[in-house]
Order: sequence, then C-alpha cells, then structure tokens
Amino acid sequence: MHKDPHSSFESTDSNVKLLPLRPASQVMQLERLGSFHQSRLSFMRTLVRRMVAENWQITSPVFDLDDQGYGTVVYQVEAKHGTFSYVLFSHYLDPENRNDRVIANQWDLTMALCEGTVDTEQLEFLRANVPKQEAGRVDSRVLVLSRANRSARTFDYVVDELTQGRQPNVDVIAEVGYLYRTTAAYGSGKLGMADWEKVRTKHRDFARPFAAEMFTCYMLRHFSMQQADYLATQRSPETAVTLHQDIKRYLGIGNSTGLGMAPFLINHPLLINQWIEMRETALATAIVAGEAGVDKATMARLDMATERVIQHLGEIITADERQSNSNVVVREELQALHLWLQKQAADLAITHYVWADLIQYAEQHWHIETQEVINTMLIELYPDLVDSLEEQMGTEESQQITPEMLVSELLEIIEDKYDWALAIDFSKYESKGAFWYRSEEKMEPRLGQTNIDMGMEKEMPLGIGRLVRECYDLLQHYNTISPEQNVAHFIMQCPNHSGIVARIQTMAQSRYGDIRENLVHSDVLPIYLLRCKLSFFGVSKFDPRSRLWVRNTMFQGAPLISDFGNADIAADDWQFPIKPVMTSL
Amino acid sequence: MKVSKNELTATLKKAFEALGFQSGDYYDAADMVVWLETHGFDGFDRLQAILTYLNTIGPVHADLVQEDEHHSMLDGKGTSILLCGSEAVDLISAQVIKGSWAALELTNCYNRTFILQRLVKAARRNLAFIAYWRQSDYCVKVSIVPGAELPEYQTFTMTGEFDSQSLRIFSGTDMAVIERQFAKELEFGEFLETVSAEDMQACYLDSVEQGIEIDEALWKTLNELVARVLVESTESSRAGAGD
Repeated sequence: MHKDPHSSFESTDSNVKLLPLRPASQVMQLERLGSFHQSRLSFMRTLVRRMVAENWQITSPVFDLDDQGYGTVVYQVEAKHGTFSYVLFSHYLDPENRNDRVIANQWDLTMALCEGTVDTEQLEFLRANVPKQEAGRVDSRVLVLSRANRSARTFDYVVDELTQGRQPNVDVIAEVGYLYRTTAAYGSGKLGMADWEKVRTKHRDFARPFAAEMFTCYMLRHFSMQQADYLATQRSPETAVTLHQDIKRYLGIGNSTGLGMAPFLINHPLLINQWIEMRETALATAIVAGEAGVDKATMARLDMATERVIQHLGEIITADERQSNSNVVVREELQALHLWLQKQAADLAITHYVWADLIQYAEQHWHIETQEVINTMLIELYPDLVDSLEEQMGTEESQQITPEMLVSELLEIIEDKYDWALAIDFSKYESKGAFWYRSEEKMEPRLGQTNIDMGMEKEMPLGIGRLVRECYDLLQHYNTISPEQNVAHFIMQCPNHSGIVARIQTMAQSRYGDIRENLVHSDVLPIYLLRCKLSFFGVSKFDPRSRLWVRNTMFQGAPLISDFGNADIAADDWQFPIKPVMTSL
Repeated sequence: MKVSKNELTATLKKAFEALGFQSGDYYDAADMVVWLETHGFDGFDRLQAILTYLNTIGPVHADLVQEDEHHSMLDGKGTSILLCGSEAVDLISAQVIKGSWAALELTNCYNRTFILQRLVKAARRNLAFIAYWRQSDYCVKVSIVPGAELPEYQTFTMTGEFDSQSLRIFSGTDMAVIERQFAKELEFGEFLETVSAEDMQACYLDSVEQGIEIDEALWKTLNELVARVLVESTESSRAGAGD
C-alpha cells in the first residue's frame, strides 16, 4: 500500500531532491485546472503576508467625502521599499446605470494606484481621467486603474444598521460577503500606465505577478468599510457604531470575472506553466514531507481545515446547479476525510507516505474538486517549506523558433507533447463549433457559435489544439516530400505557421505545457479557465452565473490594515473563510 | 502623446493582424517596431513609411532562391523586413548551428533597419552576426556578439557595388569565425558615425520610465487598423459574453 502512486519522480534542482510532481497529462486537463482553489502561493495570500510582516503604513492625507460618501480620498502607502498613493473617487451612480460588465461606463468608485506621492496638479489630472476608465488616459506614474460598484444588497443595510447602533446580521453579510464589487483592475501598461517591466524593476514591493492589482482590490476593501463607518457617523453621530473587527475581517470584495480573462491564459502559456509548476512543486513538497510520517499536531490541523472547508462550502449560496451540486458532493467527501482522520490519525502519524496514500485514495474515489481541495489543504500545512516558491511565480515570456530542428523531430514532439490535440477529431462539427473574437465594445473577448454568429473571419487564434493539428498535417506532408529538412525550411514554405511552430517548440521545453482542451469545441466551458486564473489570484466563493462568467469574493477573511505588524493576529490563516461567531455585540 | 510598451505592442499586433499578417508574423513585426522605437532608431517613422504599402499589397514573404551548406539567397520580392526578416535570420541561424558559419543575401527588400531586433533575439542563442546594407549614399553595418543585449551600429562611406535594396547577413559561432570566413566581404569605406550602446540603453530606460512618445495621428491610424479585427456588437454577440 505504501507504494508511491505517482509514476514519475523528477528532480527540480541540482541537489537531487526528488519530488513527485504530477504529470502534465493529469494537471493540464481543463476541468482539473478549473477545480483549483486558493493556495499559499496565490497572489492575495503572498501580498497579505508581505504587508503584515513588513508592517506597511497606510494613512489617508486626503479624506474629502460629503455626507453622502461622495468625494475624493487619497491613501498614502509606506511600503518596505517605496511610497505609493491610492487615489479614489466616489461618485453618485444612478442604480439603473449600475452594471458590472466591462462595457459599462459609469461606476460608484474609480481608483488609481500611483507611484510616490500625488500633488495637486496630478490629482486634478487623475480626477479628469480616472473616472472615465477606458475612455481616459493616464501616464506611467500610475500602476493600476480600477473601478467598483456597491452591493445593492448589503451596503445600505450595513450603513443603516451601524447608524442605528447595531452590528449587521452576520447571516446577511454571509449571503453576499462584501460591500463593493470590483469589475476590473487594469495594470501592465494599459491606457498609458506603467509597464510591468517598470513595476518589476523599479517597485520591489509589487514585483510579483498581479501584486499591484491585488493591492488595489485590498485597498478598495479597506475603503468600503471605512466609508460605511463614516456614513453611519455622518447620519447619526450620537447613535452610530463602527463595524465590529471580526465582521470587517469577514468582509471581502466582490468580483465579477468574464471572458476577458480567458484569452490571457492562452496568450501567456509560459507564465501559466510557471504558476502551475510552482503550485505542483508545493504539493509535491508536502507529499515528501509526509513520507517520514506526520505528527499529531499536523493531523489535527488538517482535520480542522477540513471542517472549515465543509462549513465554508456550506455557506456559499449559488444558483448555479452544477456548482451547487459540486459543493454538496465535496462536502460529503470531505466529511469522509474528516471521519478517516478522526479514526486513523494516530496510526497514520507513524505511517510513511501518508499524503501520497491520501491523494491516491482521493483520486480513486472522490471528485476532482475534492481532490484539489485536499491538495490545497496539504500545501497549507507546510508554510516553511513552500512559501519561498512565491518568489518564482514570474517568468520571462518569449516564444522562439528553433530553426535547426529537423521536421521529423518536431513531428515527434507534437506526437509526444500534443497527443491530446491529435486525439481530437476536427472533422466533427462540434469540434469546431465555437470561435473566439473581439467585440467592438471595448474589445471584449466573446465566444461565438460557428456558422451562426458573425465574425468568424476575425477569429482569435485561441484554438491551440486545432492549430497544432493543422500544423502537424502540413509538417507530415512536407516531411514526406522533403525529408531531412529543418524547421527553417518548413517556415520558408509555410510562413503562416511560424507562430504555432514557435509555440510548440517553446512549450515543449516547459514542464506542463499548454492547457489540454479544445477551446473551440461547441461545449467548451470557459468558466474553468476563469476559475483557474482566479484561484491563482486567491479568490474564494465561486458563484458561476453562466458558463461564461463567475462571481467570487476577494480577501474575505484577510487581516485588516490595523492588523499589520500585529504578531497576535493569525495573519495567514484566512483560507476558506467562514462566518465569524459574534458573541458580544 | 505617450503610450506604454505593452499597449503599443498589443496595438501593433492587432494592426498587423488587420493588415493580413499571421500570428507568428504579427508578433515579430510588433516586436521589431517597438525595439527600434525604444532604442532610438525611429521605429514609428519607418513603420509609417511602409504602412501604405502593407495596406495595399498585403503580406508578401521572401522566396528561397539558392542555397548550399554555408550560403543562401532569398528574394524579398519587394516586401518589408517586418515580413521576411524572421525567416532570413532563422535560416542563417540554422545553417550556423549546423556548420559554424554562414552568409545570407536577401535581395529586393525594404525597411532593413528592422533586422536589428531579430539579430538581437537570435544572438541570445550564442550566435554572432554582422549585417550590412546600403542606405542612400552610405552603408550601415550592424554587429552583435553572442549573448549581447545590444548591437553595435555603425555607418561607413560606400565602397564598391552595392545593390540598393539588398541586405547581407553573416553569422558564426563567434565574431572571430565571421571575420575569418568573410574578411573580403567585410571591407567597408571610411567610418562615419556610430550609435553607442549607452545611447540605446538610455533611450530604452527612458521609455520604460516615462512611456513612449507617439504621434497622435499615427496612434489614430493604428487604432483604425485595429478596428478592422473587431466584430460588430449585437444583442446576439452580447450573449456570447455572458449576458
């Protein structure tokens, strides 16, 4: 029984430390990627760890709101390596114009994260442009541009309760989980902002993927609670109370993510490979740590985490039948894990390959989402072993042709690394039943139905499997008539395929390679792509609204700014947040 | 106005896509324009000079007309290096990796300065390159040693016969191999001027810090091209975004 369940042990460094990394054929299945959950390496988690440990100082030199909560706020952020300004404009928004789609053009809040301090002149420049979002222009002093809308269900309710001297009902909070939803956080040079290269090389505090974007959402969360407290005090200074700290920690930021995020995963395969490789390395590290046996305290932590996930999933309210059913199933299977841990923890504590056995059992008996919940819980058990991987989540993204490679060798690579693409029968209508395109509305990516929707001639090249197949067929033909030729000669003959050749040759050198799914199939589920990326961001409470977009919650359970530098706060223990128990309101 | 490198690259890719470039080509072409502009070689002016041609003729690639173990000749058929530069550099790189040194002549091509970015990228594979071409009444010589981030750019007076629209590229496993194999072909006239690596680097760092200055009319032109790859929005298409 104590045989390693993984077929390959591979070395990840020169110390010949063997890690049981899962194979690409398992990990890169889209359904599995779409079952990932937040882990210690998720960008929100690493950002919060950094802010708390480094005790970032955040003040608000400008807090100029009227009695309705509209106006301007500037937060000054003293991080470890630099000073930043978070500039926020709060506007009146007719509820009828409140729209979370990317095509909206008005919002309750608009924000910009800027380097350094902001003087009057820059503030006026920002005031003229930030509220316009995509219709405005900013400059390279701005790192992130974002916007948010109030939750119609919670914001007024919370303010009313506080105004009347009461804490809001936690059950009401739990139904939503936030006071504001962010609908976009743009960085990486969009709309004239600083390029990622500048952020990475000049601003060490945000020199990890999406750190600045995540910080922008974290500050939105802070403002949302500060604004609620402020409005309650404005309305009734005599009776108003401020939100209880435990409720504040339980409040996150809502997020709606649609198809705009999907092309990112396809267009940045090396970065996605890096994220997945680090996550898999963390999991393998946990498995190896369990080989020598697991102590009772660690078992108890896993058991507690299991109970917490069961409660967390039970508190999610979603109208999506598939997700709802999945949550039920995962809870049942985790209940079995809980009982197993209760009964066998003592024996397991002295058994080798504990986690390998658990993972093997889960793969054989439980659903993929349960497996991935367990994996993320195992990673959570070993912060000292896995946290350093957070420094390796970035990579240089450059695809390059290897022109001297023989065509016959490229064919073998495709047969080996892209066997999943060659297995797809593209003669079937449904295999090419969908296509991706950019809409003229803010260039929003959309999914069309082949031969039904307009725009096929402007299709985005996201159907990697199909492109590989087409290239493979041409390569085979070319190799038949011109054997012993190299890739450079093939490209001379077929220049239109240089892009996919560069991708195949580049990704073949990566550990995990491309996502193994036909993304132009009629029944493709883009929501799996969204969930994969969101899990690396660190969101929780997935609430799919269709197969094309998903609501979720960011930073729910995370420490507050007032917790920074406080050693008593369990700063990094906020995975799978659950309702606080309010005993002394 | 100023744009970031990222949004410029994204816009150029889509603009080239609108001009009929395929995915490998539009990535490469965008990188060539951005590299020249951010290193002080007037990438935007050179792009503007060719846009009308590209818009009229569409993508044309070079043909391989002659080849032996160490030499090859391509006919550019009047196209831009934006479309045939990658093929040429890939071809000569493959020859060098197999046989230590090689020479390539690309005739009847335009915008040869764009080749700089392709040579810089190829040099990362530990290959050395020297390229030269005639630019009106002088000669441009570009050299890059294996692994270097920046090339050496020099101009010389003309000597001998030079086809006005040709580009010659010499490559080897190191610079000494090139100079040894092609000493006769690498004789130049009187030195005129150079663009220093320090100037290129300073220009690049400024673009990272401040953004890239672009003429508003060119930005508008590029975005008009981008509009060609966008699809009209309808109620039906909004359903394809989740509505």
